Amino acid sequence: MAVLPPDLGASAFARMLEEFRGAIGSEWVWSSEEDLGPYRDSFSPVWNLAEERRASAAVAPENVEQVQAIVRIAGTYKVPLFPISTGKNFGYGGPSPNVTGSVVLDLKRLNRVLEVDDKRNFALVEPGVSYFDLYREIEDRGLKLMIDCPDPGWGSPIGNSLERGIGYTMPHFRDHFGASCGMEVVLPNGELMRTGMGALPGSNTWQEYKYGFGPDPAGLFAQGNFGIVTKMGFRLYPLPEHYRTGLITVPRRRDFVKLVDHCNYLSDSFLCSEIKFASPLAALMSDPDFLALATRPGGPSDAEMDAAAGKAGLPSWQVDLQFFGPEAATKANWDYAKDRILSDIPGAEAFDGEHFALPATATQLLNTGQPYRSNIRRHGALGVPSLEMWKIVGDDGHVGFFPVLARSGEAVFEMQRVMCDALREFGMERFFNATTAPLYWHSFAFQMVLAPSVRRDDPEHNARTHAAMKKAVAVAAEHGWGDYRAAPVYQDDVAETYSFNNHQLRRFHEELKDSIDPDGIIAPGRGGVWPRRFRHLRGRA
Amino acid sequence: MINRRDLLKWSAVAPVLLGGSAASFRKLPEGVDALVLDTRHVRRGLAGPMVHAFDGDVTQLWFETLDPLWRRPGFVLGGITGADALFVLKRLAWDRGRRVVSRSQLPARHGSGTGPLSWVIAPVHPSVKV
Repeated sequence: MAVLPPDLGASAFARMLEEFRGAIGSEWVWSSEEDLGPYRDSFSPVWNLAEERRASAAVAPENVEQVQAIVRIAGTYKVPLFPISTGKNFGYGGPSPNVTGSVVLDLKRLNRVLEVDDKRNFALVEPGVSYFDLYREIEDRGLKLMIDCPDPGWGSPIGNSLERGIGYTMPHFRDHFGASCGMEVVLPNGELMRTGMGALPGSNTWQEYKYGFGPDPAGLFAQGNFGIVTKMGFRLYPLPEHYRTGLITVPRRRDFVKLVDHCNYLSDSFLCSEIKFASPLAALMSDPDFLALATRPGGPSDAEMDAAAGKAGLPSWQVDLQFFGPEAATKANWDYAKDRILSDIPGAEAFDGEHFALPATATQLLNTGQPYRSNIRRHGALGVPSLEMWKIVGDDGHVGFFPVLARSGEAVFEMQRVMCDALREFGMERFFNATTAPLYWHSFAFQMVLAPSVRRDDPEHNARTHAAMKKAVAVAAEHGWGDYRAAPVYQDDVAETYSFNNHQLRRFHEELKDSIDPDGIIAPGRGGVWPRRFRHLRGRA
Repeated sequence: MINRRDLLKWSAVAPVLLGGSAASFRKLPEGVDALVLDTRHVRRGLAGPMVHAFDGDVTQLWFETLDPLWRRPGFVLGGITGADALFVLKRLAWDRGRRVVSRSQLPARHGSGTGPLSWVIAPVHPSVKV
């Protein structure tokens, strides 16, 4: 036994475990230090420190009825549960809970793909289904559908969408929570609820009309703690006939402002898939003089950056564009994008990339045939799950801060300047240098990224990472930029920044929480939402 | 199921494989059903029906070979890989009731940098034990 649940003695804990064993089988209940090892956050910046959140036990029910039984037993003992789907949320806490002593409710055995329809283009899955599982189901059945998966793709559609995770295809699919449609939830009292059309007995449109009638509470279950999602539907992309790529470069730093505006038009008109900005000048960061310029306090001037680009013979910015659809439509959309941008930005150049019929071959997935240096990770771009990402993850992992900012070139320049200066004291100014491009992951907002590494055997390094994360959250908020997702160890910091009208949003959430989960059975603290019983732990769980 | 004696044998065999002097290696160490070799650390050329070479990206190996095998009881896997690949495999193995039961650091092939790990992943949960 590693730790005990809050407010529970050892003998009551033992009785609760015995009840769990009776409900789901003794081999699916774990409480030894060794068995709980995988439920720690492998990427924790506070590994082995008092701040690390540790589970007291883990249970893995097989079906919804067993989930309900576990919830009712936990309710009897007033022990918090922390539900996970596949536990792959690395960089954001992995499978570890918000409150030490929680019991991890591991849903990996609820692993059925319940339905996939390639005429009405949706899937209905359980939480233990991974993106690989869904992809395999579609491949094995020869269905003409494309999934949208994160990179790496070993997590679950339910877990990732409930974290508001993202993928890399068309805007309406790569927002994974946005692409969800209908859910089934075990509530804190053990009752079962379905949202949207799922609430109407006999309906067969649960995965086609998400709202049903009246208020839709689905959003409460994303980054929330109001219930345990046991089924969820997702809209899927009918497999497009063709895929086409192209690259556009612009010569001057300030051209980025217009380039972004044009790309927003293309994206919001659903003419293209994920847009990938980059600066070819990033290749100069190994030059100490350029590094000093790109990370200079207050930021470099446009003229200085343009001079550096001119000297190196490089354009200041580039954008990888991707198009799906019938072959003729992809060509028309690419031609339109070229005409639109090249006619407005002097010196812009366009380069035709590869194009081919879908599904892609193994060679095409490697993305080695482009006539230019592409930043597209082709597997994710085509909805094919991959684990290759792990080859580039350094040290013992990382933590992530992804502030949301407006889709404009000016907003990018401002975040570069502000965050570069803010992180200088930690030696992390390179994360936000003058060549750092925004991510177009979410459909209608940019993000930039701080992802400092973690080292198990270097507490000093981890302390620096931890301090940098906290400062980044605070400084970003001063400029109106908020994180979109965080590990439990940072969730209170982030929630604190969403403070309009004296934290009315958080107070609303907590009034709801107190009403439907007064004992804090489901993930207290998740998303910064604390039930009254545990509210004293805010900021110091 | 692999036993302690087999694990000790494995710890003796792994460095030999790493050195590449076992090109004539004909059969797997006792108790191990298959080997995975990370070609970033182990020279190419070691081959056999149950020897799987990969370049550090676990995707294809796992999706096509290990995932179907790990859904059934039994199957002990030995490997010499980078720590990054082992991290991925051990998390996937855990999903299927398996665990790293042996792990040791090996020297880098050319004497510098971080060397690979030799390891054994075996079924430990009653649902997959034979």
